Amino acid sequence: MEKSEVRGQNILFTAVISISIAFLTGFIILAISMVLLKGLPNIIPSILSREIQFAIKLSFATSIISTLLCIAVAVPVSYGMSRLEFFGKRFVSTVLDIPIALPPIVSGVALLLLFGTTDFGHALAARGIQFIFTPLGIILAQFFVNVPYMIKVLGSTMNDIDPRMEFVARTLGCSRLQAFFKITLPLARSGLMAGIVITWARALGEFGAALMLAGATRLKTETLPVSLFLNMSCGDLKLALAAASILIIISVLSLFLFEIMGGKQYELSRSSLY
Amino acid sequence: MLRIENLSKKLGSFELTDINLNIEKDEYFIVLGPTGTGKTVLLELIAGMYQPDKGSIWFGDTKISDLYPEQRSIGFVYQDYALFPHLTVKENIFFGIKCRGIDVNEGNKRFKEIVDFLNIEYLLDRFPSTLSGGEQQRTAIARALVTSPRILLLDEPLSALDPRTKQIFQEELRRIHDNLKTTTLHITHDFSEAMALGSQVGVLHNGEIMQVGKPMEVFRHPNSHFVADFVGAENIIEGNARGKTIEISNSINIETIIDKTGPSTLTIRPEDIILSREKLFSSAQNNIPGKIINMIHQGPLYRVTVDAGVALTALVTMQAVEEMGLQKDVPVWVTFKSAAVHVL
Repeated sequence: MEKSEVRGQNILFTAVISISIAFLTGFIILAISMVLLKGLPNIIPSILSREIQFAIKLSFATSIISTLLCIAVAVPVSYGMSRLEFFGKRFVSTVLDIPIALPPIVSGVALLLLFGTTDFGHALAARGIQFIFTPLGIILAQFFVNVPYMIKVLGSTMNDIDPRMEFVARTLGCSRLQAFFKITLPLARSGLMAGIVITWARALGEFGAALMLAGATRLKTETLPVSLFLNMSCGDLKLALAAASILIIISVLSLFLFEIMGGKQYELSRSSLY
Repeated sequence: MLRIENLSKKLGSFELTDINLNIEKDEYFIVLGPTGTGKTVLLELIAGMYQPDKGSIWFGDTKISDLYPEQRSIGFVYQDYALFPHLTVKENIFFGIKCRGIDVNEGNKRFKEIVDFLNIEYLLDRFPSTLSGGEQQRTAIARALVTSPRILLLDEPLSALDPRTKQIFQEELRRIHDNLKTTTLHITHDFSEAMALGSQVGVLHNGEIMQVGKPMEVFRHPNSHFVADFVGAENIIEGNARGKTIEISNSINIETIIDKTGPSTLTIRPEDIILSREKLFSSAQNNIPGKIINMIHQGPLYRVTVDAGVALTALVTMQAVEEMGLQKDVPVWVTFKSAAVHVL
């Protein structure tokens, strides 16, 4: 090849990459700023409105509870998947990932059928545990859709923790349970925090599955995304875009937190503190 | 005291077959074997990380191979020390005291004793990631010993250290054992460690114990070709130490980095010895003139033995042999660093 040809090719290569990056970054900023430009001026009066206040409260309550449920279930599951060998482990691992692959609305239908049409669901409802068209349904939908993310983040952290740490703790006299709480869980702290942030942020924005299971009833199952949807449908752009802006702010902050916590290794963060 | 009977375990590419060992109370037992022969697996079997496929492990009359690791009363120090990174040195050492539910006063007393004994007072508030290899090792040993284990298992404790630190810690391990008398099982691939520390040595090869005996016995009377090859430490010299100098004969003194007095044995690895026709002016402190008495062709190298008052063997490349015109009866200078002298 001629010298100039090589040079031309290299410039073209760099140009394509630069343009792709610039285009995508610009595109995302542009789209989001459209919402923020229209939403932010109305955000204060909207937050004062009863409807948005209700949506914020319900969103926070359901997302915090469902995140706690995710922790309670994901900690033992991810530990087991990382440390135990058993027959059918690959199959189980695939099943645990299914909710990630499903469209949330399909997860919602599945939950609706399970709790709305089966004896199991009726039995629970008879004892006052009613998921259909209630805030409880929102929590369940958020949990079902998000728990695999928590398991993934925690699982990769658990895989990074040397099993010999726990073993050494046991030679020093700890039971398995003690070794888990004194060694593995503290070492998984950064993964746990990252998992909490991503699970909570996703729970806050959960729409499809919750819509199917809990419906979209104003001032009853109206979370922030549902509020956005309802107000968009009836043309109240002010309230809709205020809800959207609140969601954007929370999401960006969470993403920022996630990057900080997930990106740093435990030892590094600890020694740099020192 | 510790008895291993017909122990077999297959784990990935490692296989241990019918291991039988008997370690007496207060003994310093060394298992010697090439890298990748499953030495660590043997320690992990004793400590309870794995269940044996076959065979059993006993402490006196107690069959510990049926017990959980936390019931075995074993101190385990890994090659990379496996300190808990989220705990300070102090918390690491206190870990076992808390887990074993040792009484507060007793725990504090033991903690103080071991910290004083190992001189690690100054490390207590630091995190493991800020420690040097030697400091990590002392912390790991303190963590293991503070629980007063029945046996201390050491997995290649010296191999991660540089030569100078290694010699210092070899002395340290000897001091620990001399004072605390904890029965110790130490695994290594380096025969000189066995010579220096071991009261008994067992040679492991292809998952089997080939020979057990006192290190000098194994060295003088290897029972197989493999053992002979493997323990073939050369340049074992006896002398009389006075500080950092060991007097070999009236005219020959060898400089070392270890302060010692009295009769001593030292080894120098053949690859650490340099031969030259003229006296070398280098930082190496040992320069002895001599005459070549033997040369053996070995792969791409020559094994050259020089009579320098004592017989010293060096490994020399074929190119160097040609360039210097080395052959039998040629006078040469033998040069080696004081840090290359391993005092046993």
